[in-house]
Amino acid sequence: MATTTIRVVIADDHPVVRVGLRNMLQADPSIRVVGEARDGEEALDLARSLRPDVLLLDLAMPNVAGMEALREMTAGNLDTRTIVLTGLIEKRQVLEALQLGARGVVLKDAAVEHLSACIRAVMQGQYWLEGRPVQNLVQVLRDLTAQTAPAPRKTFGLTARELEVVALITEGCTNKDIAKTFGISEETVKRHLTNIFNKLGVGNRLELALFALNHNLLPVGEGQ
Amino acid sequence: MPGTETPLTAEVFDQLRQAMAADRAGFTELYREYLADAWHTLEVLKEAAPNRFEEIRQKAHYLKSSSLVLGAGTVARLAGTLEDKARTSVSTDRNALDRIEDALREVQAELAKRLGNGVIPADKSAA
Repeated sequence: MATTTIRVVIADDHPVVRVGLRNMLQADPSIRVVGEARDGEEALDLARSLRPDVLLLDLAMPNVAGMEALREMTAGNLDTRTIVLTGLIEKRQVLEALQLGARGVVLKDAAVEHLSACIRAVMQGQYWLEGRPVQNLVQVLRDLTAQTAPAPRKTFGLTARELEVVALITEGCTNKDIAKTFGISEETVKRHLTNIFNKLGVGNRLELALFALNHNLLPVGEGQ
Repeated sequence: MPGTETPLTAEVFDQLRQAMAADRAGFTELYREYLADAWHTLEVLKEAAPNRFEEIRQKAHYLKSSSLVLGAGTVARLAGTLEDKARTSVSTDRNALDRIEDALREVQAELAKRLGNGVIPADKSAA
């Protein structure tokens, strides 16, 4: 059976890294490095002109950063499969890279061990994460989405209206202001405040404001 | 890489040497280039310290990157810490750079042991 050589472009701003990777890959007769890029812009140019099978893409590069290059690669409808090379990557970034069309993620300190296998797996239509081919991408995406979702806001048993009152208190509003904002009486505001103080175990408005800030009680965008 | 941190990760060094078995001179040259570049980057970092954050972040990342690929784990970790601090505008203290310098010396000594003192000098002055 005839074997096809896998054509690879390496994109990394560090010449020593490029030389290291090229030499690692040269040991594999099924892989040929056909180009090297020093930044994201060059990576895109080479991907368009050389049409490699695989682009090894560093995430932190000058000019066009790796994620942006990945976005443009996907938008450009190129057949090239991209493998992200990185020193350290957060789950949120793995998810973003996969959503942008990356087919694999290889950590740089594991490159010598995994890179050839990753390239071959990706060329066989598989995805590659955490040092091995991914059997069930849907499950991986589901797990990553769950792991990167923000933790639900803890409300300490406060009602929606009480949380709104807390937000206004931290802005320095008086009871009268709050009553006017919600179209309720000042007596009702006082009742809300008593309930809030009891639920949170605070004794005055300043303590309440500090508690709200320290316990992330405010809606996103407030108290920042 | 799991396990105890050493100046030069043996698995990476050995696998790379195996991958480059047909080009022993190129293998040695790769590590010589790494060392020369790393020492130079450290000098740039010293000049940029304590507060040229963007320059420190970029150069620390640069040093981390090659150190990871060539198995210089301690240098990579310390450079990564420096990069993170610079990203959040935390000033670089001299001790952090001294620790990188010490780690780099250890890498150089280890390489001299593995490749021969005539190929890689055991100390920075001859690099």
